[in-house]
Amino acid sequence: MKTSLKSAILPFAAVLLAACSPSSAPPAADPYDISKMDLKPVPAKVSAERHTGKFAEGAALNYGAELKPLDPSPVKTIRLDTTHKIIEIAPGVKFSAWTFGDQVPGPTVRARVGDRIKFSMTNRSDEPVPGVRMTAAPMMHSMDFHAAMVSPQDKYRSIAPGQTIEFEFTLNYPGIFMYHCGTPMILEHIASGMYGAVIVEPRNGYPTKADREYVVIQSEFYAKLDPAKQKVDGSPLYVLDGDRLRAAQPTHTVFNGSHNIMVRNPLPAKSGERVRLFVLNVGPSRTSSFHVVGTIFDRAWMDGNPDNQFRGMQTVLLGSSNSAIVEFMIPEDGSYIMVDHHFANASQGAIGLVSTAAKPPAQDLEHHNMPASATPTDPDAIAGKQAFESKCLACHSIGQGKKLGPDLAGVSKRRSKDWLARWLKEPEKMLQTDADAKALLKEYNNLPMPNQSLSDAEIKQYQKYFEWIDAQPAGAVKPAATGH
Amino acid sequence: MFRVLILAALLAAAPLARACGYCVEDKMASVYDHAVVTAALGKKHQVAFFHVEGALPPGEEGGRALERLAGAASGVDPGSARASAGSASLSVAFDPRRTPVMKLQQEIERKLAARKLSLMLLQVMDRPAEFSPSVSAALKRKGL
Repeated sequence: MKTSLKSAILPFAAVLLAACSPSSAPPAADPYDISKMDLKPVPAKVSAERHTGKFAEGAALNYGAELKPLDPSPVKTIRLDTTHKIIEIAPGVKFSAWTFGDQVPGPTVRARVGDRIKFSMTNRSDEPVPGVRMTAAPMMHSMDFHAAMVSPQDKYRSIAPGQTIEFEFTLNYPGIFMYHCGTPMILEHIASGMYGAVIVEPRNGYPTKADREYVVIQSEFYAKLDPAKQKVDGSPLYVLDGDRLRAAQPTHTVFNGSHNIMVRNPLPAKSGERVRLFVLNVGPSRTSSFHVVGTIFDRAWMDGNPDNQFRGMQTVLLGSSNSAIVEFMIPEDGSYIMVDHHFANASQGAIGLVSTAAKPPAQDLEHHNMPASATPTDPDAIAGKQAFESKCLACHSIGQGKKLGPDLAGVSKRRSKDWLARWLKEPEKMLQTDADAKALLKEYNNLPMPNQSLSDAEIKQYQKYFEWIDAQPAGAVKPAATGH
Repeated sequence: MFRVLILAALLAAAPLARACGYCVEDKMASVYDHAVVTAALGKKHQVAFFHVEGALPPGEEGGRALERLAGAASGVDPGSARASAGSASLSVAFDPRRTPVMKLQQEIERKLAARKLSLMLLQVMDRPAEFSPSVSAALKRKGL
């Protein structure tokens, strides 16, 4: 009887439980409910009333890697004017850039979901500069905010030098969003420096608490020596290299606008602290494998949205205009190396430090990065440089003294072209017959130069590279590190 | 007055050109030459921006061919034509007192007829947004 009662009650109980189960509870409100988003369009205004004074203004703007706390105002008025300016993308490499807010990257906007952005921009690319004008000619520019949901034809229209555009929008999604100039050719405008980040916090803030917050923006530069050979403060002027740009072959890949800038000025942190990095890859054409040596990303929020969460990540893969918030602990004192784990990119300057020391030892980086140097533009010299850096650095330096073999700075001047070609082609034969070759062997402890089985074309590439090195100012070219 | 009304009507209709997939301003940007604009406005000339309809020869050569043809049209300021085959756009500077924009368009289209190309007026820049005196002075020194 008891058994039959149980069997009679159990189905009812199951039904009752099912009725009370969470699956039958009303669904939670969708934070991305489109019907509740503010999509009220307000037409953009274009006028001839130009801004003067500062090129960037607004309490929500951040001008460096370190981020200020969120400005609580629900309406954020920001101004980012466009300028043409010479910037230094690596020590001694003065590049003719186009900017938002007179800096590259442009200032970082920090806001939160629901905030209203009131934006204005004057195209000030025509403003006079002291002395001889070395910046690019004034041109039309525009602003494309990835954080906005608006008509591009209205808000992102190009404006002529001297014009001002104003428009507004509400932030509907959390994330780290790129902004950039969208005027044709967009590729040239981005590669010339016209980009920045908008950080949009979730309406109720982030689910974790961080001790340090920094923004890291990765970008590429495609630089070549100015064909007109102009100089800026004694340094050669570099301009955009259209051929390399279209072939996606950057000369510099950097964090926050400059080769190794956060190596020279590490981002401070303390042991035991939780660091939150807002990482944006603006490209325009390369992908970033962002990694921090010595720690693991406790959380990685892809595109900067905590709803897109990964745990325990070693690397985040960021395509052009992708972003992520990464959070990690500083486990002990040390310098934690931010790097694009595509090491070809890291070697061009996409590297930085989060460090517990004010001035970390220089050797921390030697195996990750090449010092900044001007880069040859001749295709043979480029190929020669790559071959040299992958095959020769174990035995030779450039300008840093003898290693197992001679310092090759000045080699194209010390040796004739023919001698060098023969030496590279058949060193063993030269050692039998040539007095200079024999002297070298003796000087370098009877360690012979190995025959690398180089083709004539490869020899020509090496020679072009050596000639290029010897045409640079003394000390301007330093050897690349040997790597692992 | 009639010409002004026609121009106003054309400018009002300009947003229709957006249906081609490019913003009007982007098309203008691809053929905007600040030196040409500054020089033209400095002598009370104007700059007309056109969308080019028809099959353009591709690449830079296509743009140069278009510049040569447009530049040879009566009423166009010498050396002021700028063309982009990629964005199918053309700009020219002209003196509106001598050649009204409608006549200018006809003159250029006459040159383009053999290539079966026609024009749609996008915008006429008839006054500067605000150009700094030093830039104008520099351009004048260069004889532009």
